[in-house]
This record gives sequence, C-alpha cells and structure tokens, in this order.
Amino acid sequence: MIPFEYRTPRTLDQALAHLREFGEDARPLAGGTALVLMMRQRLIRPACLVNIRGVAGLDRIEHANGTVEIGACATHRDVETSALVRARLPVLADTYHHVGTIRIRNVATVGGGLAHADPNQDAPVTLLALGARVRVRGPQGERQVALDDFFTDYYQTSLAAGELVAGVSVPVLGPRTGAAFLKFLPRTADDYGTVTAAASVTLDAAGERCEAARIALGCVGTTPVRAAAAEDLLRGQRLTDDLLRAAGDAANGGLDPIGDHRGSAAYKREMAAVFLGRAVRAAWARARASAADTR
Amino acid sequence: MSRVEAQPVLSIRLRVNGKDQAVRIPSYRTLLDCLRSDLGLTGSKEGCGVGVCGACTVLVDGKMISSCLYLAVMADGAEITTVEGLAADGRLHPVQQAFVDHGGFQCGICTPGQVVAAKALLDANPSPSEADIKDWMMGNLCRCTGYYQIIESIKHAAATSAAAGKPAAGGAAGRP
Amino acid sequence: MDFKVIGKPLGRVEGPEKVSGAARYAADQLPPGVIWGKAHRSPLPHARIVRIDTSKARAVPGVLAVLTAADLPDVLVGRVMFDMPVLARDRVRFIGEKVAVVAAEDPDVAEEAAALIEVEYEDLPALFDPIEAIREGAFRIHEDPASYANAPKEHRPSPNLQSVLRHKMGDPAKSFAQADHLFEHTFRTPRGHQGYLEPTASTVAVDADGMVHVWASNKMPFRLRDLLAHTLKLPADRIQVHLTPIGGDFGGKGSLMDTPLCYHLARATGRPVKMAMSYTEELMAGNPRHASVITIRSGVTRDGRLLARTARAIFDGGAYAAFKPVPHVNLIGANMVQGPYRIPNVAVESLCAYTNQVPCGHMRSPGDPQMIWAEEAHMDMVAGALGLDPAEFRRRNLLQEGDHLVDGHHVESVQALETLEAALTAADWAKPKPRPTVGRGLAMSLRHDGMGMCNARVTLEADGTVTLLTVTPDTGTGSHTIFAQIVAETLGVPASAVNVRVGDTRSFVTDSGTGGSRVTHVAGLAAQEAATQVRRQILDEAAAMLEANPDDLELREGRVVPRGGGPRRPSLADVASAAQRQGKAIDAAVRKEIGHYPPQFSFCAQVAEVEVDRETGQVRVLRVVTAHDVGTILNPIGFHGQINGGVIQGLGFGTMEELRLEEGRVTTLSLGDFKMPNILDIPALTTVLMEKPVGPGPFKAKSIGESSNVPLGAAIANAVADACGARITEAPITAEKVFFALQQKG
Repeated sequence: MIPFEYRTPRTLDQALAHLREFGEDARPLAGGTALVLMMRQRLIRPACLVNIRGVAGLDRIEHANGTVEIGACATHRDVETSALVRARLPVLADTYHHVGTIRIRNVATVGGGLAHADPNQDAPVTLLALGARVRVRGPQGERQVALDDFFTDYYQTSLAAGELVAGVSVPVLGPRTGAAFLKFLPRTADDYGTVTAAASVTLDAAGERCEAARIALGCVGTTPVRAAAAEDLLRGQRLTDDLLRAAGDAANGGLDPIGDHRGSAAYKREMAAVFLGRAVRAAWARARASAADTR
Repeated sequence: MSRVEAQPVLSIRLRVNGKDQAVRIPSYRTLLDCLRSDLGLTGSKEGCGVGVCGACTVLVDGKMISSCLYLAVMADGAEITTVEGLAADGRLHPVQQAFVDHGGFQCGICTPGQVVAAKALLDANPSPSEADIKDWMMGNLCRCTGYYQIIESIKHAAATSAAAGKPAAGGAAGRP
Repeated sequence: MDFKVIGKPLGRVEGPEKVSGAARYAADQLPPGVIWGKAHRSPLPHARIVRIDTSKARAVPGVLAVLTAADLPDVLVGRVMFDMPVLARDRVRFIGEKVAVVAAEDPDVAEEAAALIEVEYEDLPALFDPIEAIREGAFRIHEDPASYANAPKEHRPSPNLQSVLRHKMGDPAKSFAQADHLFEHTFRTPRGHQGYLEPTASTVAVDADGMVHVWASNKMPFRLRDLLAHTLKLPADRIQVHLTPIGGDFGGKGSLMDTPLCYHLARATGRPVKMAMSYTEELMAGNPRHASVITIRSGVTRDGRLLARTARAIFDGGAYAAFKPVPHVNLIGANMVQGPYRIPNVAVESLCAYTNQVPCGHMRSPGDPQMIWAEEAHMDMVAGALGLDPAEFRRRNLLQEGDHLVDGHHVESVQALETLEAALTAADWAKPKPRPTVGRGLAMSLRHDGMGMCNARVTLEADGTVTLLTVTPDTGTGSHTIFAQIVAETLGVPASAVNVRVGDTRSFVTDSGTGGSRVTHVAGLAAQEAATQVRRQILDEAAAMLEANPDDLELREGRVVPRGGGPRRPSLADVASAAQRQGKAIDAAVRKEIGHYPPQFSFCAQVAEVEVDRETGQVRVLRVVTAHDVGTILNPIGFHGQINGGVIQGLGFGTMEELRLEEGRVTTLSLGDFKMPNILDIPALTTVLMEKPVGPGPFKAKSIGESSNVPLGAAIANAVADACGARITEAPITAEKVFFALQQKG
C-alpha cells in the first residue's frame, strides 16, 4: 500500500468536510475489511482515509415506531448478538451471523457493507426482503433511499459524491408475516453463497393465502435483485409445490448471473429457483406460526 | 506515484499484552506488520493476507480480528492481546497447555491464531459444546491436524479451566 | 512389547515454543538491518522479453536495489533437472514467472516499486492443454529438454515432454485378448496447492567473513545448500543453512524458490534480505500438484479376476520440470496403476508435459491421489458392470504375500484383506443405509516406507541428560518428538531427559532431509542406532566402574542397574563423570543410508458415507472410516494427527480444492477462492488401526504420513455414485457437477 492522510472526525459534519476536501480521493473507513483488502490488492489508492468510528452515535441499534434503526458503524457482530434485533427481527440477526467469520463480523460494519455494494454479500438480500431504507447523510443533510433503489451496479450505489451511509431503517414484521434467509454453501462453510435468497411472506386474514411477498436473491447479478415476477405469482395463492416451482421459474427467467468460483451462470440460475422456493416455504411456515399466535 | 515519496509517519500508542508501546509508523502499516516488524512480536503470522485463514488473529479490546486487514492506526489507544501475551507467570495458558497435551498443533504456523481464538472463546463461553467450538473456530484454518485434535484440545482446556474454577472473563458475547 | 516411552502420548518437544509464538519460522527471522525483497512477475503465459525498464522502480525512495537476469550469473536451476532460470532471461513461460526483483527498506515500498517496473514483451504461442502440447508440430516451449542438465535420458516422443516413465510387468496386450471383459475409463484431476499456511519465505544474510547465512522454509537444507552453491557459483562450505521450523510442507517446500534472489539482493545492498511470498504469489507461482488425465483399462475374467491393467497418464507439468525431485523427473504415483491388487500383467505410461502454466511439483504422496482417484473409481465401475459388490470385487483381487508391483517391488507382511475387512466392519458396509439419499463408497491404496540418508548424533552430557543432534527439518509431523522417544527408550531415561538439538548444514556432511516417507524410517533408525552405540558405551564404562560384565547390566530410569541386583546403581551422570575423568566422551554419530524401499508396504482402506441432495447436487460427507495396517505406533497423538490431517486433505481433494486456470492464468488467487476444509466441514471420523510390530523402522514402526490422504476422493466419488447414480470422473466433486449429471440421467 502507499501512504495516505488519516483523519479521525468526531462528528458527522467533520467527516463530511474531510470527504469534501479530498473529493474522490477520500474514502470513509469504518471496519476496513473490504477497504484495506482492496488497498492491499492495489485496486484502490485513496489519498485520505476518514475513520468514522469515532463519530458518536453512529453505532446505535434502536427501535422506534415499528422500525429497527441500525447505525452505519454498528458491526455485523453487534447486529448478530443484539437482544433487540434478535427479538424483533431474528431473520436479520441470523443473516448477519452468516457473514464470513467472527473476526470479520467483529469489525465489518453495516454501513460499510452497504456502501461496498458487493452483490455476493448476505445482508442486503435480507434487508431487501424486509423493505429496508438507507439513511444517507450528505452536505445537504439527510435523505432516505429505499434499498431497492440503492444498489446500481457491481460495487456501485446511488450515493452521490461526499455522501455517507448513516444507517439503515428496517421495519419490523407485520402481523401474519414470516421471513427467512437461506445461504447455499455447497463447497465449504466459509464462503460467499452460490446463491442467497430471502423472503418475507404475509398471509391473509384467514392465514391461508399469500397477501404479499417480498423476495430477494443474491450472488446472481451485479446487484442483489428483487424477484418481482415471483412475488406477483404468489399473491393471492395457496402454498403448493407447483406454485413454488412456478415462482422459481419466473425468477430464473429474469436473472443474468455471472459465473464465478462458486457456480456457473447456468447453475446459479437453477439454484436461484430452488432456493427461492425454499426461502418462501420457510417464510410461509413462519407466517403461519405468526398468524396462529395472533389468533 | 509521487505519494510513494511522501511518507507521513504517524505516532500511535498501543497497549500490547499489558505493556504500553509508542510506535511511529507509515499510515499504511497493518497491525500485523506493526506487531511483527516494529515491535518484534513475530508470534502472529501472515498467512493468506485476506482475512480468511486466521493465522493473524489477535484480540483488540478483547475481540478477535484479522490483523492483516486492520490498519495499525485503527488500533491507536486499544488493548491488544497477541499469542505472546497468553502465558502468565511463566505458565502456559490452559488453552496453550491443552494444545500441547492433546495434539492441537503440528507444524504450528496456525497455532498462534488458534490459541488466541480459543482463549477468546473460553472467555466468552467457558463451557462450549462441540457445536459452539466449531462455530467459533470456523475462521481458523489448519492444514495439518484435520481439526479433530484442535476440538479435543479446546474441550480439555475448558474442562481444565472449569476444574480450576476460572471465572468467565467477559469480552465479546458468544452466541448461545 | 512393554515400552516405557515408545507408544506413549507425549506432547511435542517443541510444544511450548509453538503455542507461545516463540518458534521462529523463516519469515520471522529479523537479522539487524534486514530489508525486503519483492518480485515483478510476468503477466503473459509465453513471450519474448524485449526490454525491461527499471528506472521508475529505482527512483522510489527506500528502494536499495533492482535486479534482472542481466545482473545474475547465467545459470539454470531445478531440484534435479535444471531447466529454469532464477529470473527470466529472454523469455517468460508462465504467468507469474519472476522477471525482476526489488529490495527496499519496507515491504510495501518493495511491492509498490516492483509494480513500477515496465517490461516490453512479444507474444509467443501459448499452450495450456497438455494433450495439445504434446501433439506433433506444437510450438516448442523449450527448444530441447534433453539438453538440460540432469534431464532424464528416456526418449521423449514430443519436445514438449519433461519426461516419460514406463513400467511393465507380464504381457498386458496378450492378456487383454484373453480376458472375458475389457473396460476402459478416463478420469481428470486439477492442479491443487499444498495449502500450507506458511507462505514460502527465505532470509539471507552475508556476514563480515563472507559466510552466507540462510533461513528458508525448505525441508532439504543440504540440497538447498548444494543447489545454492551451484546457482551462486560459491563453494558449498561458504553457505550455512540454518534450520527453522517449517509451517507445513506437504511436498511443496523443497526448491530454491526465492533464496538465490535473497542472496543476490543481499550482495547488491550489503544488507540481509527477506523475501516472503504472498499467498497470491503462492497460488500463482508456487509448485502445485500436477493436473492429470488418466485412462485406465482392465481385462477381467467373468468371475471378477483382474488379468491385466494398463494406464496412460498425462500429467500437466507446467512451464518447467525444475520442481520435481526424483531422478526420472516424473511422478512415482504412476505405479499406483495397479492399486493394492494382484494383477499379473500391468503397464503404465506416464507422460509429464510442458505447458505455459504454473510449473508443478510434489504434493503429499505425489501422483498417488491422481492415480488412485482414477483406479479406485474404475474398480467400482468395473464391479458395477460385472454385478459384483465393490468390496467383493476387491477381495477377489487383493495383493498377497510376496506379490510383485509393476515397478519391480515386491510386498511383504501383507495385510490388505484384514485392512479391507476392518474398514467394512467399522463402516457397517453390509447394513442398510439410514436413508435413501445416503450412499457408501470404498477405496483403497498402499504406501511404502521411504529411503534416503539421515544422520543423528547422541551425546551423554555431564549432568546425565542426553542430547540428540538432528538435521531433519521439522515440517510439523512430530519427528523430533519421536526421535526423543526413540533415544529415551533405548537409554532407559524419560523423554524429558532427552534434549533435541536442531543443527544446521555444518553439523553433518550431508543429509536427505524430510520427505518421501523417509523420516520415521531412516532418520528414526539413525537416532536409534546412535542411541544404541551410546548405550553400549555407557554399559562398558559402568562395567569398568562396577567391575562387572556389561551384559549383566541394564539401563533403567536413568541408572545402570545390575540384573542380579546389588547396591551400586550409578546414575548416567556418574557414568559421564567417570568417562570424563579418563578424557573420554560418551557420544556416537550415525549416518544411516537406505537405498531402496523396504518390502513392508502399508494398506489403507476407506469408506465414505455421503448424503446427496438431488435438488441441488450438494454432497455432504457424513462419516469416514479409515483403516490402516500399521507397525508399532511410536506416539499415538502424532500418529492419529497425521491420519486425521491426511483424511481432511483427502476430503479437500475430493470435494473442493481446485487451482483454476483460464488461458494460463490462475483465477483462484486467494484463500477466499481456493477453498480448503474448515472445522465445520469435517465428517465424523472412525480410525481403525491394526497394529503389528512388522515395520522396517525403529521398534518395528511403519510410516503413516502419506497414506490417509490418498483414497478418500475416490471413496467419495464411489459413495456419490451409490447414493444417486451420478458418476463424477473429474475431481473435485462439486454440487454443480452432481446436479447436471443427475439432470443428464433424467
């Protein structure tokens, strides 16, 4: 690596000011696991690293008005072990548990992961299925972006120059709703998924038919994707093997995966369909349990 | 290119194995290189260089991290525990002794990372099940042992510590 | 036998150093003033070097030297065949070949500067497929391999062949004509990295007297010294190789690698120089296991007896033959064509091809995993075609006492059948499987004890402790602990009274070092013989002290004890003092040389139980049984450790390890992409050992280190076929391959 300026702001405004000063040559640094790795591989050569871990309040995990608010500097391990998240959004805690190893999770942050925009990551897939919104802070103040609109391409987001991810807002599950996350690891337990799938299913008042579904797939494109066609097929239907098969095929058709060391494009397409079905089935079962609880 | 010529040196303070260290390093120095080259603590090893193998595992404020991906400047002001800091009063830590007694290592290159990780496990969870052990240790690769005797070693270390009445030392919360 | 120290589960003698971080490996050496070297490597698989511009690298502050081939003596190097330059001269032959090297005060500066070196190339046709490379008219990767120093003389039908190895026994062609059935199958395996977690490193310092001090992760320090002498044009006695613990070898740490460059940089800068490969460099330019394409053909009788077997193996040796250490510059695993079976007519032709890809070397049981992957799967496929249970088919054909192997060896103390039965029983082979998605597969292999020349010196110290001087590098196998136990047992002292002192290349004239399954056998016998001579000296001295007959004296618990009883029981310290008063030292040095493999082979039978998810093709290895016929077990912890580690390497080979290349470029360039098993991947393991004191080694021991890694891949392939009918002939067995194989079957 080559030398760089190193700044340690105490407030978000200071952090934004440092970023403004160096423009494209500055990078925010939180956990650094992806950043330092890319610097070691000489893929990026920032002139300035702005360490935002010292900014007070950026690592909070709170619940307010049916939304779990996770600060950008909360680590993966913080989310995984948070009593609050495990109570209110266990699928999210479970998802963060799947990422890498405990060493990585102790350091890598929620905000850093989102900003990095690696389509093979686990968390964005569940966050998409849960309808999360990203809180962005820039020179103009704070704005919110639906996660659906946040990832634009391979390692690219809709963050404008000088903007930072400040946190993510995740609605808790409504009534008669269940969610599940699956990571297909056919090779070894420590790997990116061949495919990942997350689903949130809400049942109708009778607890029989799908009223709404949100399904997201990862490792199958340049960004994590919503399986909108599959979601449409599920709406109003009862759970059957044929329905899940059809939903998988519908999703499969819209995918353009990139083959990698964890699977060829053809295999990822097939597995996306399989794991979409399995994730929906698991979410549906949890939705039924939730519906039974509230009756 | 000209930035290679400009070598700003940063001063940081690390508390390593209970001892305060003041170090002057270039900004790009990883914590691993700082420990090994600037402080002469060669116990932690560079293996894969991408945070996967665990040979570089150290504890920063009680939490295990990959020091090959951690900038030394990020550790400014932190408490760092390396393999060199596990023994106390000339006696090996129970984890280290258990690894010696039960074949927890062969070539020894991954061992510093293994014992640091295992110590962190027992600090967080003094009576881990085999599933707990595997879950915690899945980020520490070993090419020699096949892992079976590592599991045995950690089980014995837990039993030894329990027998000695060691309390849980706090630190990163384990997943029950 | 009632041993006091042999067979006891003693912890490693080097244990406290290794668990406390005090053990210093090659990259941990910090001679004062040490600087860092880094290589600039070729981005092209085959090209002429037109021009190298190092000016930008030289201008970087902190850079102390930049060298290219023009700065070095024009010498080729290799472990046996010298076909590789130290830095590419005129031509590069694989992506990753070293073209220049930089030394700087700081490793990051060295790396940045190395990246600033500019090289102009002219592309040459590149060959990536060994079969294409050996076709008539293919572009020559080397002008004339036969002209290289130490090139094997066997005629090469193609200039792109490193070597050809052939074995034949009987008359296979005639026998095929007489067989009731003929079967032929082809199998493939990829390159694989040894996966040692210590990347290859060297540190070289030249002292004020001109002595060259070397610390290297190299398990053959004397060979290293001699090769350095040749490469650097120095007398061998000006080079002192210091032994360090090695962080895993598995066959991959026997070559010069960067050591000569460390020396040249040290000379150019006047400073000690360290070079440590990154893991990316290891994956790109180490010396991985050879990829293979193996076609096996068998002729059998209708009642399932093997009459004849042939195999043609094409190994992809990569751009240089330099990393192969055996005189025939081929892989001895080629002789595994016959497996552990009695087959009267056998022939194998093993071709090692040049391609423009990373050159390959040795990896644990070199050539065996590839050949057994093919051979043991072929056995199951033949059994299936004949309607025979795979175990029964093997039973009918196992080697028996005195049988011959195709490479000329004969086998004694054969327990092949017992080993097979032990595995089958432990694996519940005859019992129904727990679920229809579960399958079982069997595979067997055999292994010899190694040969070579190893030294040991045993000295009785004044305080009654014993010192063993060894130059056998510690690659992690536990050899030093076993040596201590051997010496302790022989001298009637506890192991704690034996200090293992690790010497260097000044300690003895020469030594084979570690590898080839020779250590327990040859180095162990050297230690035993030296201890036995010291025992004799002790008894003679004590006999004089006690005015007794030495044959009436024993050594027990650190004392000389008369067999018939008696009050005087001098301690070893007493004996040492008595000897010293007469100006005598109690000390013996032994050079043990064994020039052939002993006939006591070891068998390994493994059963894998797997579960296949048909919807995804995912294979879970639930359980493995590994059965071995073994000699005396010298240390059960170390013994099981070697078996366990081998099993998991076999698991990796069979299910996930693959160094992938595209257009000659390694694409699995980190341990994030080249995956090896972790602690969550391991199956339940049952080890069955049939211990019999029949080995050629000390106290009748047999080697164990290169057995359990060999058959598991094939056992898993056979289990997958049993579970779901998908026959995967190309390693590793991935879920994707199983999925599409099942789709094809319909």
